[in-house]
Amino acid sequence: MRLIAVLFAVAHVSGVLALWPLPRSLETGTNALKLASNFDVQIDIPHAPSDLKDAVSRTKSLLKSDKLGRLVVGRGASDHNTLQRSGSLRTLRVSLTPGSPVRSITEEARLAIGTRSEGYTLQIPSDGSSATLTANSTLGLLRGLTTFGQLWYEASGEIYTMEAPVSITDSPAFPFRGFMLDTSRNFFPVADIKRTLDAMSWVKMSQFHWHVVDSQSFPLEVPGYTELASKGAYDSSMVYSPKDVEDIVAYAGARGIDVMIEIDTPGHTAIISAAHPEHIACAQESPWTTFANEPPAGQLRIASPATTNFTAGLLSAVARMFPSSLLSTGGDELNTECYVQDAETQADLKASGQTLEQALDVFTRATHAAIRAEGKTPAVWEEMVLEHNVTLGNDTVVMVWISSANAAAVAARNFRLVHGPSDYFYLDCGAGEWIGDDVANSWCDPFKTWQKSYTFDPLANISASQAHLVLGGEQLLWTEQSGPENLDSIVWPRAASSAEVFWSGPGGDLNTALPRLHDLAFRLRQRGVKAIQLQPMWCALRPGQCNIDS
Amino acid sequence: MASALLLARLVTPILLASFVQHASGLWPIPRSLSTGASAVKLSPDFVIRLDVPHPPEDVRAAMSRSQSRLHSDTFQRLALGRSSADTNAVKHAHVLTALSITLHPGSSVRDIAQETTRAIDQKDESYELRIPISQPEATLIANTTLGLFRGLTTFEHLWYDANGTKYALDGPIAITDKPAFPYRGFSFDTSRNFYPVSDILRTLDAMSWVKLSVLYWHIIDSQSFPLEVDAFPQLSAKGAYSPEEVYSRDDVRHIIQYANERGIDVVMELDSPGHTTAISAAFPEHIACPAKSPWSKYASEPPAGQLRIASSSTLEFARTMFSAIADTLPGTMMSSGGDEVNLLCWEEDEQTMSDLVTRNITIEDALNEFVQTVQDVIIQHGKTPFIKSDMVLTHNAPVVNNTVVVVWQTSEDAASVAERGLHLIHQPSNYFYLDCGAGEWLGNDVLGNSWCDPFKTWQRAYSFDPYANLTTEQYSLVLGGQMPLWSEQSSPENLDPIIWPRLAAGAEVFWTGTALPDGSSRISANTTSTAQALARLNELRYRLVDRGVNAIALQPKWCALRPGECDLDS
Repeated sequence: MRLIAVLFAVAHVSGVLALWPLPRSLETGTNALKLASNFDVQIDIPHAPSDLKDAVSRTKSLLKSDKLGRLVVGRGASDHNTLQRSGSLRTLRVSLTPGSPVRSITEEARLAIGTRSEGYTLQIPSDGSSATLTANSTLGLLRGLTTFGQLWYEASGEIYTMEAPVSITDSPAFPFRGFMLDTSRNFFPVADIKRTLDAMSWVKMSQFHWHVVDSQSFPLEVPGYTELASKGAYDSSMVYSPKDVEDIVAYAGARGIDVMIEIDTPGHTAIISAAHPEHIACAQESPWTTFANEPPAGQLRIASPATTNFTAGLLSAVARMFPSSLLSTGGDELNTECYVQDAETQADLKASGQTLEQALDVFTRATHAAIRAEGKTPAVWEEMVLEHNVTLGNDTVVMVWISSANAAAVAARNFRLVHGPSDYFYLDCGAGEWIGDDVANSWCDPFKTWQKSYTFDPLANISASQAHLVLGGEQLLWTEQSGPENLDSIVWPRAASSAEVFWSGPGGDLNTALPRLHDLAFRLRQRGVKAIQLQPMWCALRPGQCNIDS
Repeated sequence: MASALLLARLVTPILLASFVQHASGLWPIPRSLSTGASAVKLSPDFVIRLDVPHPPEDVRAAMSRSQSRLHSDTFQRLALGRSSADTNAVKHAHVLTALSITLHPGSSVRDIAQETTRAIDQKDESYELRIPISQPEATLIANTTLGLFRGLTTFEHLWYDANGTKYALDGPIAITDKPAFPYRGFSFDTSRNFYPVSDILRTLDAMSWVKLSVLYWHIIDSQSFPLEVDAFPQLSAKGAYSPEEVYSRDDVRHIIQYANERGIDVVMELDSPGHTTAISAAFPEHIACPAKSPWSKYASEPPAGQLRIASSSTLEFARTMFSAIADTLPGTMMSSGGDEVNLLCWEEDEQTMSDLVTRNITIEDALNEFVQTVQDVIIQHGKTPFIKSDMVLTHNAPVVNNTVVVVWQTSEDAASVAERGLHLIHQPSNYFYLDCGAGEWLGNDVLGNSWCDPFKTWQRAYSFDPYANLTTEQYSLVLGGQMPLWSEQSSPENLDPIIWPRLAAGAEVFWTGTALPDGSSRISANTTSTAQALARLNELRYRLVDRGVNAIALQPKWCALRPGECDLDS
């Protein structure tokens, strides 16, 4: 680590290196190097998988289309003279280390979390001789191609770097680097999700957590359960068909991203009542504040054997739509009063002689057994561990959301965990109250700045012996106040913060991060993602001059 | 007044009844509105017919835009089932074949643009609109083409789409409308980050749909100088972010013409003497403390730099620059800014200090002279000068009597400005700043939040009372107000989502005023409830999105489709 720190400090002085997330080991020089007009990427892998070939052609095409000027005054126009004398890179040679299996990126990306190989080595000499990218897996090669694609600027028609030679040995600190999108409060077309997946892949995220359904709408068409979407989607154009899902999952896989679908249960299910009123307690009951955390109220009747069977069947069917080894059954914000006042639930409890907590345990065991039968490992929200006494398999992944302070308690229970704490990672906070007739602010004020997210320590209050339980983390967008209209601007570049925390490890320096994050944001915009400006452009072109103390 | 009150009382029960079935989604809500419960639809060959001799070109263009939007709008009513819920009503609806547009007899026929650029207290935006359920023609009448334009805007927003048929459920409709305040603005900073002309035009369109009347264009600042000035082409050549990030004289002319034809006057602000560092790129001799460090001693934000107010050549430069720009502006208003001047910047500037000694004047004397100089230029060009409130309240600058003061630091400053008998517009940071709440943009301030936290919600902006702490005698000093977007953390990428639909809150505050058409107070405990405003604002948001403006969702669609079911107490 000390070596890296020193090298990095040197690189910063030279000023321009803009990789995000920062590689774990990085050496750069001070020579100019341009891409030859006939630059090509050569894949030295027999029978290379087609998604690797596609990744190579995407990389080549971005090298041409990025057209990003260096973020300095003049945008690199004065680099012209230096470039006339510089080396010219003709080839990037891509290969797997001898003995590595040749599998598709997609297959590698869907391996069980913690068993994926994402490391790579990238060498770019400054004299124009071939650059090399090697890895133990095609997924590692994808990560390396992503890094390669961030190294270049354009000025006077040349594509170049000012920091050759470059030597990088890289691998992520944590395997789960995610983004969660809620597509139920408001709907997002497939194109928006794909654009988001592209941007995620550019910062080496590995996991798309898709909170697809909730109490407000049910936009997922599930074979065998199509009535849920036909009656529960906002309208027929706001449905993800099995073909859409296949498309999204394949698109993500080819970009090194696994898709963890979440069917939130037993709470957050009011909309199921549109097709199956018999399965939902307190559906749209008023006042909603008594029965739910937000309107509309409604939860699955966990004490009903018929409802339990229905839910297990639904989850099995969903599991068959998604190739990931992870599937989340949700489990947040269960409301007791909803069941206390539901005559059917009370009758069911009486008949079985169970308490509500016992019923929840039976329900959860049934749903988890159903998805395990499909080969999935369950993920749950933290309350299932910290507030309820349900039986969970040892390998269950627990998503921490209420507070960063709760991670330690989950680790103490020896569960693997993913950080998604509202006090660091909620992208929706700070936009005011969305409930009518209330002038309050958002419940999780203030707005979570990129700086706040960036200071997150995944191992805070976690002992060394528990550290292996931390799979990583994710930033989340709940969409009560979001839609396709502000998706890019509310997510980017802020979501890149956690991408670096969980790839490069915690403790990054905010001052050196800011110019790199500018660079990323400018590159995202060149690539059609509407990332917001973090500062006036005057500041972006003059690193350090807009600090509070400069 | 008595007749208006009587009408208001009559309206109350009708409006309440109509809300139960369907909210009429007009925004801003007209001052006087009566609706019924009968369905009305436009016939397939519906026409807007202008019964005005020799109609001006921009009136015909406005009509043709309305006519075309009546076809292209696909917004469906926000209700469960959307338009399918209304199939039966639409089938039996009364058919309208035309909207007949006329001016009151004796009214003079002028361009919308001409009417828009009249003095702020001389504009007539009033109109009357009638949608009958027994005759085939709706009528719109006004004293001016500007009033007709406002009425057309209202007319467009009456209709829902059902497979191409445009219908309303609350006929007959009678609207008698005019704004409570003439100045209803949006202040837009195009210096911290640049916005292409197309973004400004789209914003002007959306502004006109909520009857905003002024674009207050904070075009330049310390970070960049994107305005091409004929007299000093170096200003933008050297001070803009890049040659592509410049508003040419043609661009400015086009933007202003586009705005004026849409009922929007443009007030250009040349912020001075502070906020002018970008001038130093071309004219270093006119700027004290340019990019001096630490910036926090010399400016409110980086980079530091202010005009050398004590230098006679800088005064001459300012006079020429103001004059050259004023020459190109058709409106009757122009601002010299004047916020956040920093005295230390001048005190440590050798040239300024020597100028002061030579001329035997104080800094405050020099500041007064500067303000008088630029105000004189503005007045000589036939325009009313605007100035930022701290120039009056902090520096006690001797402004001319008809100056309009932009109150920005806090809403409480309005009373102090009014005490001096000056006209004012409200732009308080504690209600109206659209940029607040997005965190610190300065570097090396890890957990800093924005200086004007929290985020100003639409509810907060809507709760603003333009007459708070003013005496009734002072009411006439209030011309209106504006919500500003400062662009440190904004750019074309988030322009629509950060301003829409929040900017519409300010539009209704200053159009509708303090009372709703039913006579109740617009500002009351439940002012932002679904019944009062949220359902209408949701509708506006969906209409904006339908027309290509990326307004954010205020709620889950579930709530938007069920007005009232997502209130705190529902």
